[in-house]
This record gives sequence, C-alpha cells and structure tokens, in this order.
Amino acid sequence: MKKKWLLFFLVSCSLSLAAQQLDSLQKHRFVTSSLLFGVGLSNNYDTYISPLEYTGTEIRVMHERMRLTKWGHNRISLQSLVQAHLSYCSNPADNNHLLGGLLNWNYGLHYHLPLTASLKLLVGALADSNLGFSYNARNSNNPASLRAYLNLDLSTMAIYHFKLWNHPYVLRYQLNVPVAGLLFSPEYQESYYELFQLDSKGNNLRFTSLHNQPSLRQLLSLDIPIGLSQLRVAYVCDIQQSKVNNLRTHAYSHAFMIGFVRSIYRIKQRKPLAMPAY
Amino acid sequence: MKKNNLLYPYKNLLHLCCILLLVLPAFLFGSCVREESYEDNAMGNFEQLWTILDQQYCFFDLKRDEYGLDWEEVHSRYRNKIVEGMPESSLFDVLGEMLAELKDGHVNLINSGNVSHYWKWYEDYPDNFNEPIQRAYLGTDYRIAGGLKYKMFPDNIGYIYYGDFSSGIGASNIDDALQYLAVCDGLIFDVRNNGGGYVTNSSKLAARFTNERVLTGYIQHKTGTGHSDFSDFVPIYLDPSNRIRWQKKVVVLTNRRSFSATNDFVNSMRLLPLVTIMGDKTGGGSGMPFSSELLNGWSVRFSSSPMVGANKDALEFGIDPDVHVAMKNTDILRGIDTIIEEARLFLKNDEKK
Repeated sequence: MKKKWLLFFLVSCSLSLAAQQLDSLQKHRFVTSSLLFGVGLSNNYDTYISPLEYTGTEIRVMHERMRLTKWGHNRISLQSLVQAHLSYCSNPADNNHLLGGLLNWNYGLHYHLPLTASLKLLVGALADSNLGFSYNARNSNNPASLRAYLNLDLSTMAIYHFKLWNHPYVLRYQLNVPVAGLLFSPEYQESYYELFQLDSKGNNLRFTSLHNQPSLRQLLSLDIPIGLSQLRVAYVCDIQQSKVNNLRTHAYSHAFMIGFVRSIYRIKQRKPLAMPAY
Repeated sequence: MKKNNLLYPYKNLLHLCCILLLVLPAFLFGSCVREESYEDNAMGNFEQLWTILDQQYCFFDLKRDEYGLDWEEVHSRYRNKIVEGMPESSLFDVLGEMLAELKDGHVNLINSGNVSHYWKWYEDYPDNFNEPIQRAYLGTDYRIAGGLKYKMFPDNIGYIYYGDFSSGIGASNIDDALQYLAVCDGLIFDVRNNGGGYVTNSSKLAARFTNERVLTGYIQHKTGTGHSDFSDFVPIYLDPSNRIRWQKKVVVLTNRRSFSATNDFVNSMRLLPLVTIMGDKTGGGSGMPFSSELLNGWSVRFSSSPMVGANKDALEFGIDPDVHVAMKNTDILRGIDTIIEEARLFLKNDEKK
C-alpha cells in the first residue's frame, strides 16, 4: 500500500514539474518557418521595353519566418517573408519572349487581435524591398529594365484554427499593400547607356504611393497536419504596378505553392553547447 | 458590457483592418495598369505603329524644320492606303513606306521575312569606296586585332580599317595595333562603309587619340510623349585612355556610309588637334535607337535619343570632312583609291613641314 502511495506521489510530482516546465515555455521563443515552391501564371508589361503585355509561366520560391516578440504582452509578431520568382513570357504573336525575375523581402511587425478562440486578426506594417529585372533579347538599346523599389506596406492577416476529423488545420489570409515608397525608374526614353555611362541626372528616384503604384500582395495558405509534420499549400496573388516618368509597368502573378512548415523553440544559450560524443 | 468585451479597446484598429481588407483591394483592382488596346488587324497595327512613332520618335521638330515633315499629314495620307483584309506583305510595304517619310536610317520595320529600310542617305551619293581596291591596298599580309585590320604601307604610313563598330575590340587589340604602327610617320584610320554598331567602341577607340578630356557633344532623351518633350542636354566627354595613345598625325577616312556609331566616332575625332577628317560627308544617324513592337509581332526600331555636337549642332544629317576628297573614276579604273592616296600625301607633306 505504501508503495502505491509513493508511486502516486512521484507521478504527481513529475506531472506537476512537467506542467510547470510547459508554463515556463516562453511564447516568443517559438519560431514558425516554412519553405514553399510553386508555379504560376505571369503577365508582364513594361512600356520601356514594349507596349504589349507578355504572358507566360513562372516559378516561385518563398521562405517565411514568423515568431511572437516580447513586446505588447506577446501580442506583436515579427514576420520575415522572402520570395523570388522567375518568369518566361511571350508576346501576343508568340514570336518574342521576355525573361523576368524579382527578389522580394518583406520584414515587419503585426499586432494580434484575437476575435474568438480560433480566429484572430493581425494588423501591422512591413518594409517591402524589391530587386528584379525584365529582359527582352530582341530590343536594341532598351533590352532590359531594372526593377528596384522600397516600400512601406500596410499589412493585415486573418488566421483561423479549426479541426477536421480531429486534426488541427490553420487557414490564413494575408494582404500587403504598399502605401509609400521609393522607386528607381529611368525617365521615359532614357537609355541605360546615358544612366550609367554618362552619369545622367534625371528623375530616376521617384516617390510612390497608391496613386502611382497601386499594388498588392495576397497570400492564402492552409496548413494540413501530416503525421508529425505540417504541409502548407498556398495561393499567391502578386499584383505589382507602377506609373512613373510616363512609363507604365505591371507584373501580375498567380502562383500555387506547396511546402512544409517547421516549428522551432529557440533556446537562449550564451555558452556554446558541446557536441555530443560518440 | 463594453468593458467585458475583449475587443472593445481595439475597436478603432479593427475598423481600420476592415476598411483595409475591404476597400483597398477594390480600389487597387479598379486602377489597373494595362496596355492600350488596338485591334490585331491592318488598321489596328497601322494605328499602333503611327502612335509608337508619334510618342517616341525624337526628330520630328528637326525634320519639320529641315524638310517640312508633318506627321499628322502622314497619318491621314497613309490611313487611306490601309484596307481591311489586305495581305500582310502589302501592309508591310505600306507601313515601310510610311516610316521612310522620316528619312532616317535608324528606322526599320522588321518581320520574319523582311526589313523595311531607308538608305537614301548613301544610295543617292557616290560610294567613295571600292572594296576590291581597298582589299588590294590591304594585300594578304595585313594583321588582324579584333575587328581592326592594319598594315604598314611602303611609304611608312600606317593604315587601319575598321568596318563595323559591332566587331569586338579589346584594349589589348588596340594596344597591339598602335604599338605595331608606332614607327610610322602618320596613321590613316579608315571607317568608310562602317554602318555603325556600339557607341562604346567608338569612345574606346577615340580615347587613344587624345591626351586630355574633351567635350565631344551632348545627348538628350524624351521625357514624355510630346514631340518636344526632351530632357536637359547631358554632356558627353571623351577621356584619354590610360593605355597606349597615338601621338602623331591621323587622317580619318569617311564616306556617306559612315553611319550611326561611326558618325559618333568622327564627331569625337574631328575635335582632336592631330586629326584630319578626309573623304565625303558622313551618313549621319545621331539618334540612339530604341525598339518596340506591334500586336502582330512585327518589330520596329526608331531614333529615340538625339545626340548633338559640342556646339549643340545637329549631327543627324552627317558631318562634313575637313578635306573633301572624292574617288576619281580614272583612279578606280587603275585600281587606285584616291582618298587613301590623298591621305598618304597629306601625311607625308605634313611630315616634311
């Protein structure tokens, strides 16, 4: 009988200790990251290169890292979202091609507003930096166009946790809209020879906002549990447009992506951990 | 009740979220940046071509003053020649004729089977270059450095022929040619029948003939769709090369087929103290060409950024030589290149002085 009481005491103690350990886990140390790959449809238009819209396909890769911070009683999260895509498009007559690419990095904060136990809204701001190009092999002195712009985005997100057949799923929608920024653009017919070889002093750095850069990025994703892992499927709607220096551009992408989500608990360790000996 | 509601303190923020989510996408989708629409038929492609030139071609004002070009009148005249359902080849011919109104060697309409062109800038003038005779002058023992063909004439005059500014020339190519010819009393640099190429090759070569920075001209670009919407002049300087530089007299040979980048080369060289331009007037072509295209897939090339001389003088119609020399028929019959011979004489006489 004594042994039973002793066993009960030990189990209780260990459970209590485990519970204390769980309580002591700090939310801001959880990091969720994902790596997605996808393909999609692309529509590119740049009047510096051609008055026509080029349509085709693209490949896209996206890496996201998100974690809660200590700020605002763990109600502020930090998001780093890197996307890169390459597109190969054709003109309407299908006798010329345009190669395009863009590297985009969004980095910023969101404030969490729980609506119910399973639904929360996030609102925040992101730094949105972009570097890319369009290349048209058939043109003479205007074969390529450089894309470089930096924006401040307003961002909203809705995250919904739900269960199907007793398995947890996460549905998320995110919308980023640039509201102010700086964009590099040659002037209407300024050649890159003039820009880079002759040190032309044109209006090449332009302030942008909704009136001349009506753009948005939308992301809809669903996290699906598979064993101990989480599969993420996503749809990206990337609408980039600009109207500066009498030049008009757009790059529309609709990409379907798939990849895995990884959750990590970061341990604060000032001294380096010894490698395990074998 | 309100205080118990978790969301109450954030109601304004929530309203903002809702407005952002609902209103912004609607606003943004309502302001799409799309292409200007044309019908992909004879009339649509005609209108698109005319508009591309109307908005982007850079010499309307200059050519209005020079020979009374009226682009609106051209539109009405050629619109009457467009018939729906006309064969593609006929449409191509009509559009090519319309572009020829611009009298510009840099303006072409290109499809898979043809290139429309305006070559009157040399077709209406004497050749002043005879390739078999020039080949005979080079002989068989000439040297080749990149796109440069060069040799030493028996009277100790160096001769370089550069026939295409698209032909690659590296710094070492120029070094080797100039070093080989360094013992010569003077140099003939022949750019006749050179229809142009890369303007960077033009300055790369000209930099070997100056010891100081020289203002050679200016370039402008269009800043809007109006015929007179231009940027300020951007100066173009020729900086001396830090490699081998030629320090003796040079005669640059030109004819009407010295066009585009060659015209730019001649414009730089004519400002240098040891250089004399000899032969015929160059063909011009001082507008840096851009490309565009039509809905039916035809490509169009046109002058978009005008370049002018150091005195802001127009170079579009060519550059006069310092010494006018024409090929004589009697010389041609005897296999003599009059212009090369005049250049040799000029350099030898100059040496005696």
